Amino acid sequence: MDVALSAEGAWPHQFGGVSVWCDQLIRGMPDHVFQMVALVATGHEPIRWTLPGNVSSVIAIPTWGPAEALPSRRRRRRSQPPLAELFEVLLAPPRVAQDRFTALLRELFSYAQEQNLPAVLGSEDAVRLLSDLWRGWPPDSSKAAPTLQDAVLALQLIEHALRPLSFPPVQAEVVHAVTNGLGALPALAAKWRYGTPMILTEHGLYMREQYLFSRRLPYRWPVRALYMRLLRRICAVGYAESELITPGNVSHKRWEKQLGADLARVRTVYNGVAPADFPAVEEQPSVPTVSWAGRIDPIKDIETLLRAFALVLRELPDARLRIFGSPPHGQEAYLVRCKDLAEDLDINESVAFEGRVEEIRDAYAAGHVVALCSITEGFPYTVIEAMTCGRPCIATDVGGVAEAIADTGIVVPPRNPRAFAEGCLTLLRDDEERRRLGAAARERALEFFTVDRAISAFDEIYMLIGSGRPLVTADAESLGEQEPSVDLGEEDTSLLATRPSA
Amino acid sequence: MSAIDISSPPPAAPGDEGGGQVLADTGQAPATDGASAQGGDGRGPWPPTVLALCEKYADICRSAVDPLEIASTLEFEGLGDEAARRRYGHPDVFALAQDMYFRVPCDPEEPELLPDPWEGHKYRPALHALLYGLPAVCFPAAAALMAGPGVLATLIVALLTSWSLAQSLAYFGYTRLGSGREHAQRVLRIGLAVLLVVVLIVMATIGRIAHAPLGILAFGAGECAYMLGACVLMVLGDELLMLAALAPGVLGSALFLALGKPVGMEHFAWAALAATPLLALAFAVARTRIGTSSPGARLVGPADLHGALPTAGFGLVAAGLLSFPIAAGLHGHGGTNPGALLCTVPLSLSMGVAEWNLLAYRRRARLLLRTSNELRAFAMRARLALFSASVTYVVAAAALEVLAAVIVKATGALPLTWAVVPQVVAYLTLGSAMFIALTIQAFGLRAFALASCAMTLAFEIAMRDLGVLTQLVACGELLVALGVYAALALGRAVLHA
Repeated sequence: MDVALSAEGAWPHQFGGVSVWCDQLIRGMPDHVFQMVALVATGHEPIRWTLPGNVSSVIAIPTWGPAEALPSRRRRRRSQPPLAELFEVLLAPPRVAQDRFTALLRELFSYAQEQNLPAVLGSEDAVRLLSDLWRGWPPDSSKAAPTLQDAVLALQLIEHALRPLSFPPVQAEVVHAVTNGLGALPALAAKWRYGTPMILTEHGLYMREQYLFSRRLPYRWPVRALYMRLLRRICAVGYAESELITPGNVSHKRWEKQLGADLARVRTVYNGVAPADFPAVEEQPSVPTVSWAGRIDPIKDIETLLRAFALVLRELPDARLRIFGSPPHGQEAYLVRCKDLAEDLDINESVAFEGRVEEIRDAYAAGHVVALCSITEGFPYTVIEAMTCGRPCIATDVGGVAEAIADTGIVVPPRNPRAFAEGCLTLLRDDEERRRLGAAARERALEFFTVDRAISAFDEIYMLIGSGRPLVTADAESLGEQEPSVDLGEEDTSLLATRPSA
Repeated sequence: MSAIDISSPPPAAPGDEGGGQVLADTGQAPATDGASAQGGDGRGPWPPTVLALCEKYADICRSAVDPLEIASTLEFEGLGDEAARRRYGHPDVFALAQDMYFRVPCDPEEPELLPDPWEGHKYRPALHALLYGLPAVCFPAAAALMAGPGVLATLIVALLTSWSLAQSLAYFGYTRLGSGREHAQRVLRIGLAVLLVVVLIVMATIGRIAHAPLGILAFGAGECAYMLGACVLMVLGDELLMLAALAPGVLGSALFLALGKPVGMEHFAWAALAATPLLALAFAVARTRIGTSSPGARLVGPADLHGALPTAGFGLVAAGLLSFPIAAGLHGHGGTNPGALLCTVPLSLSMGVAEWNLLAYRRRARLLLRTSNELRAFAMRARLALFSASVTYVVAAAALEVLAAVIVKATGALPLTWAVVPQVVAYLTLGSAMFIALTIQAFGLRAFALASCAMTLAFEIAMRDLGVLTQLVACGELLVALGVYAALALGRAVLHA
């Protein structure tokens, strides 16, 4: 079967969890032929993964390079795209007229396939239209009144965001967006042009990450608000147009529902690991040891880990903390900060920053327990790999961590050194309980979180969707799935209300 | 140094154990007491803990674009559905965030200003003015060394070739700089090699046609080589190396001229003149050395040529316009034109002024964009800014011309009379037109500048019998045409973001 994957900033140009997952998926299904549509920044990015034999092509779509990199179009404009309506819908509160937005996005796609949409969005007419329409916006604050520069910047962001619509849609039997948001646009294009059935997988929750990221953007409120509304609506289109939504963990459903996804079409498919790569580790370190593995990155909140470990040391003075991994390019300062903190806490004798490790399983074997202290996660490989090795985890309750660990380890709230320390102590002190949990963790991982299981789930999904047969809506496949308590109650008409004025 | 209290979470973090800890974490009392605190929408007294939460995340609530942004922050800070239920009486974190969103008025902070791309160049234009002006010293020295057929023809061809080739090389360099210095270095290095071959072919051809002797051809080739090497250095921001390369040629020439061109010093002068292009090339090669990891991207695509050809064409035409009065002489048929010779140095220096002025204009236009919300008003103010930039240029260029005239008169280097005034005015007009042409090209508008300059040059050549009058008319028309075009085209807001 011909499968097209689409994603933003992932395989084969970048490393990271989504890329590992793509690689596993493609290698695990040698009978299917894959095309990869990858959104990249400039188009100059090198391919950093070895392409398996069943990858027929990699189509890189640059979203930030010069506009000349776009497919050339006739210059003469025969018609105008519905820009005024687009701006009106974006200026309306989220969720209002979402169907209209879907129709508009589709019209813009048709337009971009024939004519030069980036040129129209970069025109003086578009600036005029937007600056006229958003005068008096936001309705409840005079301080954030948009300027002409805001209009130009907002249009530039919209132009870059919609660039994937100008490229020829990929042809396949199934199109699988492995990120929502802009990464889903090539999949939507294939669906709209060829009627290709589409599925959507989310590892990190795209919109949630965008909200957090957007706070660092250097734009004024009107620009940020308009852009975030565009992304939010594109995500909603991604959910609405997918035959099936397959988040990497159950907890994503909460956000997906907020963003307008129909939960009847959501089916969780967990990440998995290859058990052969992570055999059970029997030996235990000689001194009580907590092990941590991953990228040294602020979202991993190593600072809380260090504070917690300082509390552990008060009770177990010979305990050790071993931190395996290196900072990604650009985050070297964070490693320095962590080392400084260890020194300030006076625990640097007991903490080892080990750097990169050749075989990641050695990092898990190095500790009695494996720690994960992140403030945000999808469904982290670290946890399920450690579990497969038979090491119990002490981890923070973020993303799908609690689903992965369930009762085979300890889950505590994020950013809470005391709770984290207590969890560590519980596991380090009680040998018998720790061994029992380790065995249970391995059993659970082998049952639910193997790569074979993930691959066979998608194999089945591809076959079902590709054949056009109706989908089983029952969610029996995914384990222990309990409906998270998401209940918006009244459908948010309250969003139509304005905020009190400043 | 264990001054840090390890038992409490970091300041920005709410713990999730024990009700009310968030209140304690804020370390500050709510702004209003419970009795008088009313939601702006009449929802009744604020539950004290939600109030505290709004206080704690005031920045986020004030600038949130929708409730989900607040929800994402709460989750990021470790506050989940469980805490929302237990502590704040909301079914989940989304409902809590929505409550907070509607309680706190939208009142976003202004972000820090985006970095102005035209800032930070304050002294560079002055350095550039020096770099543009200094080479002029080499020509009178070289002229004393060269005699024979085809001198003028070779010099003119070398000027045209070097300007057009350097312009296109700079175009490639600058466009690649956007995607990384290594890309720029690669294209500059290969471009330099290719264009040097082009220079040799051109010089060989002119040698054939004009029967110019080898020494003159070598000087022409050296001039082109210097321009290409200097162009590489300028794109990469290595102006000081350019200055170092210029030093032997300029100092040697100056010494040679100051000593009255003594007969025994010719070899010294030649060596000094030869050192400059060789140094420029050596520096350019050294500064474009890149690691073995090839970026792997295609070197030149059709889109590049589409942009580079008009740029090269403009370089050719501009060099033609500037050298025309020298080539044509006073009456259109050769001979010395003192007015033209007088203008070369101040006009070169004034290009530094033009550059500074262009940057100031771009900063001004950006500021206008940030403070306007209506297109028509913006267009008018942007035109006014362009007009005042042009006037500044004319005044500065005129001052430089007068200064040059005073120095020349005082040293007696050229036979100056009032008769040079029309030629000087023609050059001033041309300089102003070039300033506007540079400005509109800086915004990526290339076709009009190229076409209008080419037509002007053609007109000057066709009507050369009328002498300076032709230039006055042609340059005046060019200035008006470019000025009107710029006023119309550069009033557009999209160009100035």
